[in-house]
Amino acid sequence: MSEGIGAAVKRKEDKRFITGRGKYTDDIRMENQAYGAFVRSPHAHAEIKGIDTSAAEAMDGVIAVLNGKQLKDDAIGDIITGWAITSKDGNPMNVGAWNPMATARVRHVGEPVVIVIAESQAQARLAAEAVEVDYEELPAVAAATRALEDGAPLLHDNVPGNLIFDWEIGDEAAADAGLAGATHVTELDIVNNRLAPNAIEPRSAIAVYNDIDDHYTLYTTSQNPHVARLVLSAFYNIAPEHKLRVIAPDVGGGFGSKIYIYPEEITCLWASMKTGRSVKWTSDRSEAFMTDAHARDHVTKARMGFDADGKIVGLKVNTVANIGAYASLFATATPTYLYGTLLSGQYNIANVYCDVKAVHTNTVPVDAYRGAGRPEATYVMERLMETAAREMGMDPAELRRRNFITEFPHQTPVIMTYDAGDFHALLEKGQAAADIAGFAARKSEAASRGKLRGIGYSCYIEACGIAPSKAVGSLGAGVGLWESAEVRVNPVGTIEILTGSHAHGQGHETTFAQVVSDRFGLPMDNITIVHGDTDKVQMGMGTYGSRSGAVGMNAIVKAMDKVEAKVKKIAAHTLEASDDDIVIEDGEVKVAGTDKKMAWHEVGLAAYTAHNLPDGMEPGLKEGAFYDPTNFTFPSGTYICEVEVDPETGVVEVVQFTAADDFGTVINPMIVEGQVHGGVTQGIGQALLENVVYDEDGQLITGSYMDYCMPRADDVPSYVLEHSTTVAPSNPLGVKGCGEAGAIGSPPAVINAITDAIGNNNLTMPATPHKVWAAIQEVGLPQAAE
Amino acid sequence: MDMTGEYQIAANRADVWQALNDPDVLRACIPGCEELEMTSDTTMTAKVVQKIGPVKAKFAGEVELVNIVVEESYTIQGEGKGGVAGFAKGGADVRLTDGDGHTLLTYEAQATVGGKLARLGSRLINSTAKKLADKFFENFHDHLGGADKDGDKTVSDAPETKDAQSERA
Amino acid sequence: MTQVTMTVNGKAASGDVPGETLLSDFLREHLRLTGTHVGCDTSQCGACVVHVDGKAVKSCTVLAASLDGAEVTTVEGLANGELHPMQVAFNDNHGLQCGFCTPGMIMSGIDMVNRYKTEGRELTEEAIRHELEGNICRCTGYHNIVRSIKDAAASM
Repeated sequence: MSEGIGAAVKRKEDKRFITGRGKYTDDIRMENQAYGAFVRSPHAHAEIKGIDTSAAEAMDGVIAVLNGKQLKDDAIGDIITGWAITSKDGNPMNVGAWNPMATARVRHVGEPVVIVIAESQAQARLAAEAVEVDYEELPAVAAATRALEDGAPLLHDNVPGNLIFDWEIGDEAAADAGLAGATHVTELDIVNNRLAPNAIEPRSAIAVYNDIDDHYTLYTTSQNPHVARLVLSAFYNIAPEHKLRVIAPDVGGGFGSKIYIYPEEITCLWASMKTGRSVKWTSDRSEAFMTDAHARDHVTKARMGFDADGKIVGLKVNTVANIGAYASLFATATPTYLYGTLLSGQYNIANVYCDVKAVHTNTVPVDAYRGAGRPEATYVMERLMETAAREMGMDPAELRRRNFITEFPHQTPVIMTYDAGDFHALLEKGQAAADIAGFAARKSEAASRGKLRGIGYSCYIEACGIAPSKAVGSLGAGVGLWESAEVRVNPVGTIEILTGSHAHGQGHETTFAQVVSDRFGLPMDNITIVHGDTDKVQMGMGTYGSRSGAVGMNAIVKAMDKVEAKVKKIAAHTLEASDDDIVIEDGEVKVAGTDKKMAWHEVGLAAYTAHNLPDGMEPGLKEGAFYDPTNFTFPSGTYICEVEVDPETGVVEVVQFTAADDFGTVINPMIVEGQVHGGVTQGIGQALLENVVYDEDGQLITGSYMDYCMPRADDVPSYVLEHSTTVAPSNPLGVKGCGEAGAIGSPPAVINAITDAIGNNNLTMPATPHKVWAAIQEVGLPQAAE
Repeated sequence: MDMTGEYQIAANRADVWQALNDPDVLRACIPGCEELEMTSDTTMTAKVVQKIGPVKAKFAGEVELVNIVVEESYTIQGEGKGGVAGFAKGGADVRLTDGDGHTLLTYEAQATVGGKLARLGSRLINSTAKKLADKFFENFHDHLGGADKDGDKTVSDAPETKDAQSERA
Repeated sequence: MTQVTMTVNGKAASGDVPGETLLSDFLREHLRLTGTHVGCDTSQCGACVVHVDGKAVKSCTVLAASLDGAEVTTVEGLANGELHPMQVAFNDNHGLQCGFCTPGMIMSGIDMVNRYKTEGRELTEEAIRHELEGNICRCTGYHNIVRSIKDAAASM
């Protein structure tokens, strides 16, 4: 049917957004609302010697000026790291304590020190400028590799050498042996550049304290309101969960940055209690650059060995990961279990070893951002493969083909069990769509215009729907990674789906309704998706890691299974048939092979009137389910990028980008394609434009859109998309997840294309015109263009 | 950020040295200087207004002279707090040598900025600092009877120092 | 405080506001028209684009007090009983995801189509991409925004 699984249904949620009726956190205004503004450290590293708030307190409209010591005195807890990593020597990780507002020492530019609460936002910001903080500066370090050197400034007393952990995965001796026996070894030094997520809606929070009930409500820009409530209750001592309601209304993009519970939200809740006022804080973009968790920032040495047939015989990867001044919620999982476990790529490799040193530096905390660990792994793998092919004089597609995994399930040497995929099919579809056969002609045509044209591949695999909970728990996760859902059938037959997933652009109000429509044959208009409010939805783990499809939707399926069973029992009882003979089709509940039937709403009404239910059956029609997957899902794909480089200026134009993906079952192809477009653009942004830069003193010097280059419409082409499907065997819907693939697969394709065009493999991201021009100068123009 | 420079000043070394230690001269010559007071023989406080890119700030700071070798060299160092705009700090090793009918002043300066200045204005720091240094030494040179031997007139052409100049006059 | 009087979405709107009040603040905080969004503080993201006297303007970059007597249209004022063709096109072509940049995209898109029509120029994909320089979207990768504007141009 036209609204079911696989249909390109237009989005139900669009109407409020295109008419300006969306309700984002900053659009909400509470009664009795005051405004918070933070005083932030201008130093990367300093002792706080004193704070003088007298001038600020005397200013117009100022209600309160509160500091970190007062917050600590009220027993508000330190911010936690959600994943405990064990070093290879068996020791637990060392992470520095993170006070929501600094008490004695600041460790990155932008760290909050004081909050000013005032009647208006302007008054709060003005008064924040009048707070005098006396700092004694300390030496700072921004680069992770420097932070590991002897004599580097130390951030935390309990973290010797700034080393949080030194973690390993795989068998080092086996990888070394594999490399020793290789006929060819490709070596690369790789930098995965630091990014700022930049959801266009800045973070915002409104904290509302009700002293009569001793109850808090937090409106906030969150991807996972239930996780927020959990940690605010269990670790930050704001209030027990039944006294704390977290609402994430419309949220303007997340990309990971809105998973975390930041100092600002905690401080606003506490300040609301202290002042008896609703406290609103909305970040501006400058604050976002120095408070929203940054991303990536890896420095890696990688060696891949091949035998005479081009088969990979060993891979060894050593990575230094910059975690920033404090270890944020998933900061320790991202460069380990989301990274090292993907270092087998799409390839059959017997021997893989990876070592990761995670390091504190005087920079904004680094955490998961679209892809989280998997883009870094893919970049290592796919830069190695392309480089190796060139070094061995092989076609890069052929080298990949020789190494593809073809039998499933496949156990990699780095934990993962890939359960399905067809990598040959993806490569073929990608090559056909990209017209590989015509590339040589396009290259010579470009050369006639003085342009260098190049092509680059990336064959990625990623892991979504991190699960099962038991497995992630054994690896150090502090939470379970299931999802919950509730299906409420009303007496008139309409349906409300309550989900623990949270939509902030993904279109759940449409796709989740499609899954329900498909199952019961009901019109989409009769189905509403409820999410984002801890008072409405009992529990949930939220949306990140491409988990809403693979985990969240399957929780709905599990709840629908229970609803269907009850509907069949009611109908069988009413129609005097056996449960087994009842079928649900097109909104009708029928006895198969007869003309006996009930309309869907008649069953709903029967459940609630309860006049004629089977003996012992409870009235009502509402079922819930918690779904814990049995395995990750493994989306995969082939991305092919074609660029043209102007050798005079070093300017790179992405002239064609082809993405062939395998996402398993696709619920709504229009929405899935939109996810790929967005992800690929973020990946092209990383490859060409985006870079967070700190100077040697730890000063952030890319603190606005004037210096941090976001991809614009004219930086990217229209995309060519293809699909090849293998159904995910681990979940009932067969879906794999599509949210992150674009950002994971695209950066190496872009860099492989540029380095192909210019004939110099020595190029780091972002490949700015200056760097590309310099790389051309380093080796001279390739033959064809001279 | 590091920078170096040298200037030929048409005055003898003793006069140049004296001027380099005269708060009135420094106040007149430092672009954007609103106040400059000696607090001891080698320390002073200053208020300077500067605009770097989109950030305009009034810096309140302390300046200290160290490594003093009379009539030869000193290091001038200081730190200014610009409130919410951030901070700037730096120093310069200044050295005087006799030239042919003039004094040769060479300097090696280092400056760093922090906070909003760094985030929003970092692209412009180098060019701004170089411009300010040039402006200072141009003013200083003129003050000591450079271009047309009429320091007041020349200095008053520079809008940044006009107020300070008339205050002094 | 400054008295500001303008026409917003066809209705008279006035208020006593501090002189430094930006149009975006006036719309959001005084008139509670929260469809106009603010995504940056350096006039780059374009989420705040509205029309002033028929032309696209970044409302975070103009003082409310400077617009005395002006005609302002925000995203809330586009649908006149039925959706504007640009709004329809964004829905038809999946030109939005989180929706935050969308009001600015729609207002810029309408302005662009109107200008090209008035000047008799063809609004090609290349032209649309170039014209969107001042609007940042982090979700869609622009692919479907470009398609939406192209589609709307045909029906406007």
